[in-house]
Amino acid sequence: MSTHPTPPSDYDVSREQMLDFKVDQQLLQVVDTDAKNFILTTVDEVFNWARLSSVWPVTFGLACCAIEMMATSATRYDIDRFGAGAFRATPRQADLMIVSGTVTAKMATRLKLIYDQMPEPKWVIAMGSCAIGGGPYFKYGYHVVKGVDFMVPVDVYVPGCPPRPEVLLDGLMRLQDKIRGRKGRFIAPKWVTDYAKLIPYRK
Amino acid sequence: MEQNAIYELLAGVLGDGALGYNEHALEPWADVAPARIAEACRFLRDDPRLGFDQLMCLSGLDWDGFDETGKGKSTAILGYTDDGKPETSDRVGTGELGVAYHLYSHALRHKFTLRVRVPRDAATVPTVGGVWSTAQWHEREAWDLLGITFAGHPDLRRMLLDDEWVGHPLRKDYVMPDTWSGVPLQGQPYCANPFPVETGGPDQPAGDQPAEG
Amino acid sequence: MASESTRVNVPGAVSGNGWHDQDHVPGIKSELLELNMGPQHPATHGVLRLLLQTDGEIVYKVTPVLGYLHRCAEKIAEGVNYKQWVVYTDRFDYLAPMCCNHAYVTAVEKLMGQEVPERAEHIRVAVAELSRIASHLIALATFGLDMGAWTPLLYCFREREEILNLLERISGGRMLYNYMIPGGVRYDVPNDNWVADVLDFVDLMEHNKLPEYNTLLTYNKIFIERTADVGVIDAATALDYGCTGPVLRGSGVDFDCRRDDPYSVYHKFDWQVQVGRGEMGTLGDCWDRYIVRAREIEQSCRLIRQALQQLPEGSYQALALKAIVKAPAGAAYTRVESAKGELGHYIISDGGQTAFRNKVRSPSFCNLQVVEKVGVGQMVSDLVALVGSLDIVLGEIDR
Repeated sequence: MSTHPTPPSDYDVSREQMLDFKVDQQLLQVVDTDAKNFILTTVDEVFNWARLSSVWPVTFGLACCAIEMMATSATRYDIDRFGAGAFRATPRQADLMIVSGTVTAKMATRLKLIYDQMPEPKWVIAMGSCAIGGGPYFKYGYHVVKGVDFMVPVDVYVPGCPPRPEVLLDGLMRLQDKIRGRKGRFIAPKWVTDYAKLIPYRK
Repeated sequence: MEQNAIYELLAGVLGDGALGYNEHALEPWADVAPARIAEACRFLRDDPRLGFDQLMCLSGLDWDGFDETGKGKSTAILGYTDDGKPETSDRVGTGELGVAYHLYSHALRHKFTLRVRVPRDAATVPTVGGVWSTAQWHEREAWDLLGITFAGHPDLRRMLLDDEWVGHPLRKDYVMPDTWSGVPLQGQPYCANPFPVETGGPDQPAGDQPAEG
Repeated sequence: MASESTRVNVPGAVSGNGWHDQDHVPGIKSELLELNMGPQHPATHGVLRLLLQTDGEIVYKVTPVLGYLHRCAEKIAEGVNYKQWVVYTDRFDYLAPMCCNHAYVTAVEKLMGQEVPERAEHIRVAVAELSRIASHLIALATFGLDMGAWTPLLYCFREREEILNLLERISGGRMLYNYMIPGGVRYDVPNDNWVADVLDFVDLMEHNKLPEYNTLLTYNKIFIERTADVGVIDAATALDYGCTGPVLRGSGVDFDCRRDDPYSVYHKFDWQVQVGRGEMGTLGDCWDRYIVRAREIEQSCRLIRQALQQLPEGSYQALALKAIVKAPAGAAYTRVESAKGELGHYIISDGGQTAFRNKVRSPSFCNLQVVEKVGVGQMVSDLVALVGSLDIVLGEIDR
């Protein structure tokens, strides 16, 4: 690889000048030695990159978490930096449904309707402990669906009651990892696993 | 005006419709015969000495299983178990239902409380929605959650739950539903510890090491 | 399902301009149009659903449909004990959780006959008023948003984040705090200069930020055109429908629980109740309700300043944190002035650790009812202004 490529024997300098196609000798060298200058990809990967860079959520605020979702899209946290700031009022223009809040029995059928109206491909983030599993309304909540995954498939669960905007942004990045098709880089830090061992769990 | 004086005025108008007055309670209240409550409320609003122009709150009550001795041994309500299944019981509710009215007068700055009690199988109270319009929604809510019928209410539909909902949830003998109209209301069992004590296995993440330097 | 009618008499509508009553055109039969606003709609502040019957652009009938966020909190109150239920009060009015905490612990303390240390009351007043400012900021922001102004939202959220930071430092929670307990508050004032920081913020808010909102939104010509003389609620209607809070005061009724039915230590402070005066149009229009909230922010700043400058030494809890709260048998109804209006709790105790019945009288529930009357005869876009100016929060309505 160290030798420079030699021009082919029928190389015509005048023709090259006529086409104004000047290949720099040094560039040729780089191209040959370093494959990184070529972008080799699949159509899928390009599409996924485009999708993850502009995830448009549907304006679907249910409860307390909706305020944190608004705060995420407002001044300080600015979800637009991640391409997900275009909140659409109609589900037909949206890719992402952030289920932000408690899903009740009366709302669940409407939620399914809104999800069905969204065009493929579509993703769902379950934001907050109510949307994940009923949260504090588990024991006596006769009107609360204990987890939105009973109704629609969920891609990313964002825990918290309500989750801080940073956590929602992190959930969005995990969703982008998922769209990209590669595993996320998140590994629980050691202090988190150590701390989690201290939490008493039910058998 | 003093609470006693208000009750005396009220009893003078209602006659045998005024069933009693609990003077020594923390917040004294007057018991009124259910059939006379609309009349009592109209009097309390219109009399210039009383002038109760605001209905602060209208609460439906269920006295089933109430511990009268004051030791806190009332019947516990039913919920969902840890596995997410509804708890059931053979007990049938027997206690009375009731309604409490909290009134306030902006002009005279005094409060008053009325209560009625109705039998559980014939829970009908005249509406006071014609006296204070705000009572209409409160009464709809009491009908929705406790099943108290308000006679004469123009639009007695369910307020919070869906029209096809079965039962009245705030009754003490209410059994939680496991599903409604295709929507599952049961829960999933509590999850196990996501971080088991034995770490370092093949499936476990190794964990970030703290940055050096 | 539209009901047929050849002639629709819309009460309150401007008649005679001829464009909405089309029956004079021969051969054209006009019908009422049924329109569904919500439950997923950006201008209904949550999951409110309004069933409208419209005649052209004029609203003929409004029927709010509630319950899309009914979270069974009153049933839960019969199952969990007094301290545990403070958590659920946070989630009623999630824009001003401290006010909701305050309402509930006031009721429990009255039932228990529990005295609260002076220091705890001062801290409560300060955090509740901070919470009220945060709630009113959201009210201004979303009202502007309903009127088509996106920029005020960015400004209001900027200041709200500062308040959330301050409240996070004292309570540990960013948005829902679970801060007050029967008999005091959960944590003392942190000793990292918290009081001075709050006072700085209050000064900044009162002298710097409020004039900014006024130039940005309050005295904006377009905003006034959209809100003045729109959705007029007169005082008699407001009282009849049980409206409270800024809605009642916007209609010219000079009543505030903090002054007229005093609780906590509000009687010690010097401040003024703000009342609508019909400056831009009719008394009780949307602009009046808006300006009452904007001026209440200023009064809240005064209250915070006094509460923290006079902060007494002493304990911040009357009971130890692990003490089991038991209330003697009895019933108590208390009300406080939440950000939205009167928040009442009616608690019946049987003597145990758990309330036998806990009825919540939420201000938004009563305030919203008035759209059934006032919304009739408005344009659809003015109905959005009316609902926005009521500043409802659905967690409190549906509970």
